[in-house]
Amino acid sequence: MSGDEELAKDLGLLSALTIGVGTMIGAGIFVLPGEAAVAAGPGVAISFMIGGVISLFTALSASELGTAMPKAGGSYYYVNRALGPLFGSIAGWGNWMGLAFASAFYTLGFGEYLATFLPLPSVAAGPLALSSFQVGALVAGLAFIAINYVGAKETGNLQIVIVTLLVGILTVFSILGFLQADISTLRPIFPAETGGPAAVLPATGLIFVSFLGFAKITTVAEELKNPGRNLPLAVVGSVVIVTLMYAVIMVVLMGVVNWRQLGPEFTATPVIDVAELAFGSVGLAAVGIGLLTVAGLLATASSANASILASSRINFAMGRDKLISEKLNAVHPNFATPYRSIAVTGGLILLFIVAGDVKTLAKAGSVLHLVVYGLLNVALIVMREADLEDYDPAFRVPLYPVVPVLGAVTSFGLIAFMDPVEIGLSLVFVGGGLLWYLVYARGKTETEGVLSRTILRRREQLPDALVSAAVTVQPDGGEFRVLVPLAAPEHETDLITLASAIATQRGGTVDAVHIVTVPDQTALPYAAAHPEEIEEDYHAILDSARHDAETFGVDIETHTIFSHQSFQEVFQAARTHGADLVVMGWGENSHGSPGRVESAVEDIVMDLPCDFLVLKDRGFDPEHILVPTAGGPDSALSAQTARLLRQEYDSRITLLHVSDDREAGEAFLADWAETHGLADAERRVETGDIEASIARAATDCTLIIAGASERGLLRRLLGGSPIIELLEDVECSVLLAEQSHGRGYVKRLFGR
Amino acid sequence: MRSAKLSEHIVVPVANESDARSTAAALEAYRFGQATVVHVVEKGDGVPDKTPVEQSEQIATEAFQAFRDTFPAAETELVYDRDVVKGITDVAATVGASAIVFQPLPGGRLQRFLAGDRSLRLITEAERPVIALHGGDR
Repeated sequence: MSGDEELAKDLGLLSALTIGVGTMIGAGIFVLPGEAAVAAGPGVAISFMIGGVISLFTALSASELGTAMPKAGGSYYYVNRALGPLFGSIAGWGNWMGLAFASAFYTLGFGEYLATFLPLPSVAAGPLALSSFQVGALVAGLAFIAINYVGAKETGNLQIVIVTLLVGILTVFSILGFLQADISTLRPIFPAETGGPAAVLPATGLIFVSFLGFAKITTVAEELKNPGRNLPLAVVGSVVIVTLMYAVIMVVLMGVVNWRQLGPEFTATPVIDVAELAFGSVGLAAVGIGLLTVAGLLATASSANASILASSRINFAMGRDKLISEKLNAVHPNFATPYRSIAVTGGLILLFIVAGDVKTLAKAGSVLHLVVYGLLNVALIVMREADLEDYDPAFRVPLYPVVPVLGAVTSFGLIAFMDPVEIGLSLVFVGGGLLWYLVYARGKTETEGVLSRTILRRREQLPDALVSAAVTVQPDGGEFRVLVPLAAPEHETDLITLASAIATQRGGTVDAVHIVTVPDQTALPYAAAHPEEIEEDYHAILDSARHDAETFGVDIETHTIFSHQSFQEVFQAARTHGADLVVMGWGENSHGSPGRVESAVEDIVMDLPCDFLVLKDRGFDPEHILVPTAGGPDSALSAQTARLLRQEYDSRITLLHVSDDREAGEAFLADWAETHGLADAERRVETGDIEASIARAATDCTLIIAGASERGLLRRLLGGSPIIELLEDVECSVLLAEQSHGRGYVKRLFGR
Repeated sequence: MRSAKLSEHIVVPVANESDARSTAAALEAYRFGQATVVHVVEKGDGVPDKTPVEQSEQIATEAFQAFRDTFPAAETELVYDRDVVKGITDVAATVGASAIVFQPLPGGRLQRFLAGDRSLRLITEAERPVIALHGGDR
């Protein structure tokens, strides 16, 4: 599929730029200037400049990370990758909620513009009192959510047209306004009523919501043409463009009308008042009002729209890392949209519209984004310092480490200038993200951050407290249970050793199960009562399993199961024992003769209850592991297993990929190795016959770990169909990995 | 002139895994020559897509696999197009299909309307026979 990759990239520089500019410009100019004017007087133009500079640092860092990792999810993804899932949870939740707050804010702004020409009612029903703005916002919010839910498509260029139009209208507005402006109205720049120059930074906190948008470009980085060039240009470019526009327009607004008259007690839409005067000077007052009203509606709508879309991308990325349920990201069969994610975000937006006012929403949205931006800058530093061979961004931040350090310090620092209410509100979500990780996600996610991996790798040189902190918050994927069905005594030690190695690395337990096959004519309760009649010395195998595991220092539980059909019992046991992984043998003496169980197996193995590792045992020796891969979902399990064995045994790993085209193959394998945390393994790319290549590579290896390349390999394998001959031919042990695809019972029962 | 068989080479569009499974089940009762199963990733073309590329491609892979569980010999074709119907008819033209065979997606009139009534468009816009399947396990 990699050859088609280019076809998926259809966003050019202009499209990317309009995503950034279109999202940002709505807030700063159309919603906030009144509040901003009251907060700092004419000096608020400087607040906007400062906001722009802070954003610029983060924009540069986001550009580097975006070109290095063009993945859906943007900021969240970088933080999760670099700092691990603990911070990933905070960034994900922060970014998601921050977008919901910001969307509510944009939508409320839209309501304000709507109310200038539509007579909207205000509602007062018991404790619920809604202003006409809020009513307008709720209606508009529902419309934006519905549009995203059914995936109505704007024509591709519409966004470009809207943003160009906006910039055009605002330019004309600025010029006309500038001609009307009176410099003396701008004095004093820092009026005493607002607190003089000291008011500038708190005002920056208020207006920072006007800069949330540049990072959204990174959430669609994978769709950009030529991302190495276009991503930094669009991200940095959009920040520069809007900063200049904000500063100029603030000066114009406050040059035409005294800043005191712009405040919310006089008007909800100061821009329109100024437009009336500015366009009135050329006898077009009505045109000015009309144009700016339309512009205000378009701008706030496009901001809200882009934010709803961006939040579904963050949900997707969090779901991919198992930080939230994948169910949230289900795609609608008819609309092809992530409808559940959109509905949930939509519900939150409506809730925030009802509960909040413009100022609180703006600042809460900003604080959460500032947390994410701060973490993003730290993520960049970690990625650079970890010195990963596969970290190769096309764009590099200038003046490293000055830019990301300033980015982190200024982002976190600006939070201090917010009010306790907004900080508190945001802390609820940050704390919520933290709790969420510890309570819910830690037991599910497996992605480990570059940071903790680096700390653990260099544990000798680092202080103990740091190392143990890193260990404490490591993802554990729940209490990890490795189920080992045992049949033939001769393979017991190897299977238990393999299982113990994995359990040790995952901090889990081994669950050894001896399945005693009972002849059909013997009743199971009878067999359970008289096990020695069925199998003499039936407990010996579990005794030695216990001994082997204890030698390894891993917790072990043992069970004996009596069954008529030993093979099916493996699946049954995996389900009832809540296993995360089954390690089993495959061979003549393992679990009944394959031919006999074929039909029975067919049905069950369709849906593996958990991940499976099947060992063709020719002596377990993990010294040099060969991992042939062609990608695909099951290759993740083989990669993970190889990694765990390497951690335990310091194994040498060779990756093998066979491709028709050497160059494409090398690119594929490098990418695959990076995604699966095996970037430092040896890579071997060959062309020609797959089996011959594997056989050649296998000669100096001690263990092959192969992923089932398609669903159902295990089924064919155990169902008695011809086994891939090659795996019979090689001399070393072969471990086959097949991943559970998580088709739940409900899905199985109802077929969909 | 009667040279071409209607089922010589069919193009089968599938939307997702369950659609593919159901379509394959409905198709199982019939004989045909070659089958090319198509999934169109709907592109924004200037605006961001509805779903991330990674998710879109995953949906395609799952749909193909589901179809191939029943028809292992089916060719697969992944298409990126702004217009789903055009994506399907383009593939049909490229492979020289004798017919397009599909199973209408579930959903009421409103859903169909909102989604752009692709079934109707497919029937009217394809320049070759279009066969609508019924049954499956739907």
